[in-house]
Amino acid sequence: MTALMSAHALTRILPTEPPVILVRDVDLDISAGQFHAVIGPSGCGKSSLLYLLGLLDRPTSGSVEFEGVDTHSLDGDERAQLRLEQFGFVFQFHFLLPEFSALENVLMPIRRLGRLDGVEMAERALSILDGLDLAGQAQKTPDKMSGGERQRVAIARALANDPALVLGDEPTGNLDSENSARVIRIFQRMAHEQGRAVVCVTHDPTVAAAADTRIHMLDGAIERID
Amino acid sequence: MLARAQLIVGIAAKHLSKRKRQTAVAIAGVGIGVGFFLAVSAMMIGSQNDFVNRLISSAPHIIISDEIRSPPPQPAIRALPGTVVEVHGYKTRNEVRGIKDWQEIVRAANAIPGSIVAPSLSGAVSLRVGGREEPLGIIGVDPNIEEKIENVQDKMSVGSLHNLETTEGGLIITEDLAQSLGVRMGDTVGATSTAGTRSLKIVGLFARGRGQFGNNGYVLLREAQSLTGQPFIINRIGVSIPNAYQAQAVAADLESRFGYKAQSWQERSADFMTLLLTRNVIMYSVISAMLLVASFGIYTAVSNSVVDKRRDIAILRSIGFSQGDLQRMFVAEGLMLAAVGILVGWAIGTLLMHILGSIRFPILGKTEHLPLDRSARQFMIAGFSSLAAATIAAWLPARKAARVDPVDILRGAA
Repeated sequence: MTALMSAHALTRILPTEPPVILVRDVDLDISAGQFHAVIGPSGCGKSSLLYLLGLLDRPTSGSVEFEGVDTHSLDGDERAQLRLEQFGFVFQFHFLLPEFSALENVLMPIRRLGRLDGVEMAERALSILDGLDLAGQAQKTPDKMSGGERQRVAIARALANDPALVLGDEPTGNLDSENSARVIRIFQRMAHEQGRAVVCVTHDPTVAAAADTRIHMLDGAIERID
Repeated sequence: MLARAQLIVGIAAKHLSKRKRQTAVAIAGVGIGVGFFLAVSAMMIGSQNDFVNRLISSAPHIIISDEIRSPPPQPAIRALPGTVVEVHGYKTRNEVRGIKDWQEIVRAANAIPGSIVAPSLSGAVSLRVGGREEPLGIIGVDPNIEEKIENVQDKMSVGSLHNLETTEGGLIITEDLAQSLGVRMGDTVGATSTAGTRSLKIVGLFARGRGQFGNNGYVLLREAQSLTGQPFIINRIGVSIPNAYQAQAVAADLESRFGYKAQSWQERSADFMTLLLTRNVIMYSVISAMLLVASFGIYTAVSNSVVDKRRDIAILRSIGFSQGDLQRMFVAEGLMLAAVGILVGWAIGTLLMHILGSIRFPILGKTEHLPLDRSARQFMIAGFSSLAAATIAAWLPARKAARVDPVDILRGAA
């Protein structure tokens, strides 16, 4: 299986005094159709690695290749465009825009991409919401929804532009076990049925257990992968 | 591209609509600034236009007199250019006063389309009634031309300029002078000049408070010529042109062609024009300060919005919005505040002008309104200045929004 994304000798050092090494010399392949869990103790650099892979942060040294292209050569706008088209983020907190309804939140990346006409955009957003059992919540603003519903709307938004790579940062961290199980099933479906590459940073052993590969990190470096 | 702008502006509008109090305060700031800008500038420009109109209509736009600004060069200097010439014991020629070849100047001035040219003769006489004597500058005019060039008739309380033509030896003076001489309409006065004494009859009076007539009286041109013993002489040519603001250029042209001093109304009123300039500098300083203060409101509103929305900024960035998108979003917030504020300001300005315009106050028996300039130009200037100020005021915090590092926010929240 060829890698969708690969990191080589990826290192991120915070230029403070003394410098803090967040990520140390990481080599990693991320494959389409695979559910990867990144696990390790707090402060081991899991999230920092995720931000580097998501092109939200730039490495101090090393490189991240996406579909064979070295992302180091991309400028800010090109990285934003790549996130828009190919990446979907799900965070521990839903991070929905509070003024907008579920539908409008899901429409946000679709409208920003602007490849569909108005009717097609709404149809696409509604079908994604429907696929996550959220059809009834489309017109609600986040404050009118339960925590589980909000997190699923956030997942719907991540899937809005049909991304090749989904990045999760503790997506079940704020959910009860029932909603966690639901999110885990969604993540598995994204990898196995929809063929996306899924990378999920987690503390949750049930998420780790559900993943295809587990990347164990310690002190910024990869300890082992199983 | 348009769809993206719509999206960004839509998000900005949503931000504002959820922050009603800040939004209202910023809009009120711009509205009051623009409103008072309009009220102040309407008064200042209105009164300035009123002054200038009075100035333009009360006398010819250009007055050519029988004076020469600089004496002609000596023939020897002209014959030997570039050398030093010493001239001994020369006398200035005692030229006959009056404009030579004035018919030619009149022809040249008449060639300007729409111009009115009024040759006249002014001189000095003494008016004597009984034991009283008053000096008087007399101006000999052709009433048919003069009435087109100066609005003399409006300023007369009794009689008409045309009485000069119908009455032999007719004279028009100010009410003030008539009072100090103790004469009334229809009375006869003695006028003495170097050429002798004649009797003149008062056929009209200028109203009080029209200071520019001072101790001047109007007679018929040929009356003035015979009274001062200067037959066929003209020493003043008044020229009025359709566009009064070109007077300076036309005057310079006439002066360079004929040599006689040609004064535009601007030159005659140089002090006054300086005063107007000073007034304008003061006015624009004050109203710029108002707009500047109004833009502080926008700066504060957009800054607070950026701080409040740091999380949304991070999430939009992670979704794939660019730094430019975020910057435009917050500039759009500022511009929307300004746009609504400008509309409110236009309404406030119109209302203030309406109130100012309805104030009446009596001047010398006449009830007058404040002269107000309600031209669209001031509305446009107020609008565009506010927009410009708002763009800068919003751009500064918007730049901060674009520079927010999403990783800092995401890390902090997790």
